[in-house]
Amino acid sequence: MASRTPNAVRYPGRVMSDSPAPAARRLGRLLAVTPAVVVLLSAGPAVAVPPEQWPVSEPVSTLTVLLVLGAIPLALIATISLLVYVPSMARGETYVPGLAWRNENEWFGGPRGGVEAADDAEHRAVESSAGHDGPPDTDPDRGGASARW
Amino acid sequence: MDLLTRIRIGAVRVHGGDAFSPAQRHEIDKAIRDAETMCRYEFSVFVGSSDGETRPFATRLHSTLSAPDRSVLVMVDPSARIVEIITGAEVRRDLDDGEVRLAALAMQTAFAGGDLVGGIAQGVLMLADHARKPRMLHAE
Repeated sequence: MASRTPNAVRYPGRVMSDSPAPAARRLGRLLAVTPAVVVLLSAGPAVAVPPEQWPVSEPVSTLTVLLVLGAIPLALIATISLLVYVPSMARGETYVPGLAWRNENEWFGGPRGGVEAADDAEHRAVESSAGHDGPPDTDPDRGGASARW
Repeated sequence: MDLLTRIRIGAVRVHGGDAFSPAQRHEIDKAIRDAETMCRYEFSVFVGSSDGETRPFATRLHSTLSAPDRSVLVMVDPSARIVEIITGAEVRRDLDDGEVRLAALAMQTAFAGGDLVGGIAQGVLMLADHARKPRMLHAE
């Protein structure tokens, strides 16, 4: 099969393009494209009349257009934002990042009386254990971590 | 100026309003209770400004707890934007510093988003979860 073509040595005949009639192929290409071009050219706006049996719709007023395309999307946006913010508003979140914190100190699970009581207890302990070397908080086994935001 | 004096000065600071609503306070209390039942260590959360450096202040708070060795103290300073977590010697055996750092990171993320209460609750529960002793399922 390969022996029929001039380049039988290198490639089979159907691979190479020096085989018959470039003119015929060009014509074929043209014929393939023609229907599309003809359809596009013949479809003028004048032909685009709606069929008789279609119902005739009433003209839409500008107000309705504004309502449908403007007010409804805006209402949706407002509703969704409200849904997002309501939970944190309902919780009464007092902390806003970036604003100064002016609230009272709060100690959960701390000693009765909070920082002041702890401070007094500490003070008494230090006074009673006079001569005890080193503050009591230098425990090397204590662990932990810190972070900033 | 020693630390005690600094703490005392902090005590006479002009106070603002309450930091948390009753519901928020309840949420934090509940998180602490759940954490304590989960891992059998004691948790304490301090929210407020520290006087001077946060780490020594937090350490001082931790050592005033009733059983420091078995306690975890979480100190959140919203004005300085710092969270400090202190673990007692005994807690540290179950909750190493890497795990604490992980919880601190989670809290940091929540705080940066403005969720103070949620961040505290989440962090405390996370610490308790890590501190929980592993149950022996298939011991020989």
